[in-house]
Amino acid sequence: MEEFGCEWNDAPHSMGTTIMAVQYEGGVILGADSRTTTGAYVANRASDKITELTDNVYICRSGSAADSQIVSDYSRYFLNQHTIQLGRDATVKTAANIVRELSYGNKSFLECGLIVAGWDKYENGSVYSIPLGGTILRLPFSTGGSGSSYLYGFLDQAWKDGMNKEEAEALVVKAVSLAMARDGSSGGVVRTVIIDSSGVTRNFYPGDKLPLYYEEIPYRPTVEPMSA
Amino acid sequence: MSITSYNGSALVAMIGKNCFAIASDRRLGVNFQTIATDYQRIFQIHDRLYIGLSGLGTDVQTLYQRLKFRHKLYQLREERNMRPETFASLVSAMLYEKRFGPYFCEPIIAGLSEENVPFICTTDLIGAKQFSSDFVVSGTASESLYGACESMYKPDLEPEDLFEVISQALLSSVDRDCISGWGGIVYIVTPEQVITKTLKGRTD
Amino acid sequence: MAEAAIALPPKGGFNFDLCKRNAMLEKNGIALPRFRKTGTTIVGLVFKDGVILGADTRATEGEIVCDKNCEKIHYMAPNIYCCGAGTAADTENVTDMVRSQLELHRYATNRESRVVTALTMLKTHLFGYRGQVSAALVLGGVDVTGPHLHTVYPHGSTDTLPFATMGSGSLAAMSVFESRYKEDMDKEEGMEIVSAAICAGIFNDLGSGSNVDLCILTKGKTEYLRNYQKPNPRSYIRSKGYDFARGHTAILSTRITPLKDQVTIIEGDAMEE
Repeated sequence: MEEFGCEWNDAPHSMGTTIMAVQYEGGVILGADSRTTTGAYVANRASDKITELTDNVYICRSGSAADSQIVSDYSRYFLNQHTIQLGRDATVKTAANIVRELSYGNKSFLECGLIVAGWDKYENGSVYSIPLGGTILRLPFSTGGSGSSYLYGFLDQAWKDGMNKEEAEALVVKAVSLAMARDGSSGGVVRTVIIDSSGVTRNFYPGDKLPLYYEEIPYRPTVEPMSA
Repeated sequence: MSITSYNGSALVAMIGKNCFAIASDRRLGVNFQTIATDYQRIFQIHDRLYIGLSGLGTDVQTLYQRLKFRHKLYQLREERNMRPETFASLVSAMLYEKRFGPYFCEPIIAGLSEENVPFICTTDLIGAKQFSSDFVVSGTASESLYGACESMYKPDLEPEDLFEVISQALLSSVDRDCISGWGGIVYIVTPEQVITKTLKGRTD
Repeated sequence: MAEAAIALPPKGGFNFDLCKRNAMLEKNGIALPRFRKTGTTIVGLVFKDGVILGADTRATEGEIVCDKNCEKIHYMAPNIYCCGAGTAADTENVTDMVRSQLELHRYATNRESRVVTALTMLKTHLFGYRGQVSAALVLGGVDVTGPHLHTVYPHGSTDTLPFATMGSGSLAAMSVFESRYKEDMDKEEGMEIVSAAICAGIFNDLGSGSNVDLCILTKGKTEYLRNYQKPNPRSYIRSKGYDFARGHTAILSTRITPLKDQVTIIEGDAMEE
């Protein structure tokens, strides 16, 4: 396709992303933006980077879209098998370790950073970060993707132990919004997934309803198309 | 210089009324040096099916031998000839198999079906099929052949007229290509007979 | 024995025998030729009752238009079609392969194929070749779970969207969708927007051109509208055409080979093909 120079087709499909997960009193909250890019072109402005692994475990994906999708697809397959064999839900730790196994075992071929989070009766909410090389880290909160560099300091300051659900979700939405404003490869909407003992709740925060911070310009409704 | 233009070639096939024509130049060169002036690029697969192979001479011959072999196996197994569409799929599959290390050949397939319906088709060097209801071209002179055929071709020509059109298109096109030419060879295939004519062309 | 192994029909998969030779040629400064690409505009859109796919019909080889009316909407199953962009041979073969797997799967299960099945087969194959098989696809269909539209990238990643564009004209087409797409459109409105998006590609992207193909998939019904619009008719027809008198071309030799009459079976039944 070199003749028609379209980097938006040839460049690998990747998610210059902001993803995060936070543990709170009783569960976890996962959050992500919705921008997928090929080179400088936004290939999908409403993508879902928070993928289900089992009923009680979800995963945030960043990096190459193809790689992170295949890793989550395989993990889901193994976890489904494991759940059937065991006769009860897989733990978050097991899920995270399956993801780690795939990430580490194929590390020279893969380019994706993942955050596994969920709820189980042994550990309540837990967050596992599995960055590029296939390390596994259990953390109270974690961020990933290109937008994460804008968030470390903020989260160190803003995260509190023993937050309730509302506080934690507000924190996630605030953090992802902040990163989306500063990081060119993050944007779109904010999606959150809340997992606790009662199950899973998905929330959606459209781009024009997000909190605004320093020097951000309020959303202005689009001018009607010329036909009007 | 591209490897497909190492030897030079011009190939064209056209559909007429219940007949088809396939033609090529006769030059084989090594870059600008002419080696042979009776090089065969069009091969008969069976009575009513022809394949023209443009591109690198060595691959032309290898590919032809493999195709002929596969067609003979088919004849033994099925006790009939291949339909042109089937043969086109065979060529395409054989080329796509070498997707990551291709033969430098762009074939043209021309045939007459059992019901005397003409069929022409070309593929690129990794087997992307392209069917046509008028004409197909290939080889180093393909750019000028496109132009000549676009303006000279008319549908439903009788074999005699089809011969004139394809010959004129071929001869005028190879005159604008340094590395193809030296006359040409034309096959006109009708339900009754195959007319093979060699053309007189420029020798410079 | 070795000879026979080379000549015998292969069992499938790629063959890398010529890679060394070709690399040697390339090293000696001989450029390797270009493949046929479909510098393309392909789109898909979900409407009230199903999915509409659209494509232009230009195929290019470098800057040459090698096919002015090619088909880029490939059949996958009666209820699933797929638009292809990228290297022509790759899109053709990858869709063909999955088409055949789906057909066998239908025979085995006696059920209508699902779009996700096709999607998974495509992405698994493409991921395995790590972007080397360059097929960018828009997959659409209606199955027991409703209408679906997906995009598949050469590296094997997939997206699920209400409207999607791919190929070199994707930006032009996306601008039409972004300004005019609404949820729950009716068929006519959907067709209008899809053809407007393809036309945006045809007229604003050099790699796309010629005609508009559409495919409308609804529950239990598929309409393939080949050359739905022809906005670029031939503009250079010489009214009289070129006429060459018979016997005009100089000939060196003529050989006439009569063809044997084809054997016709007059008794018994002809074997089925």
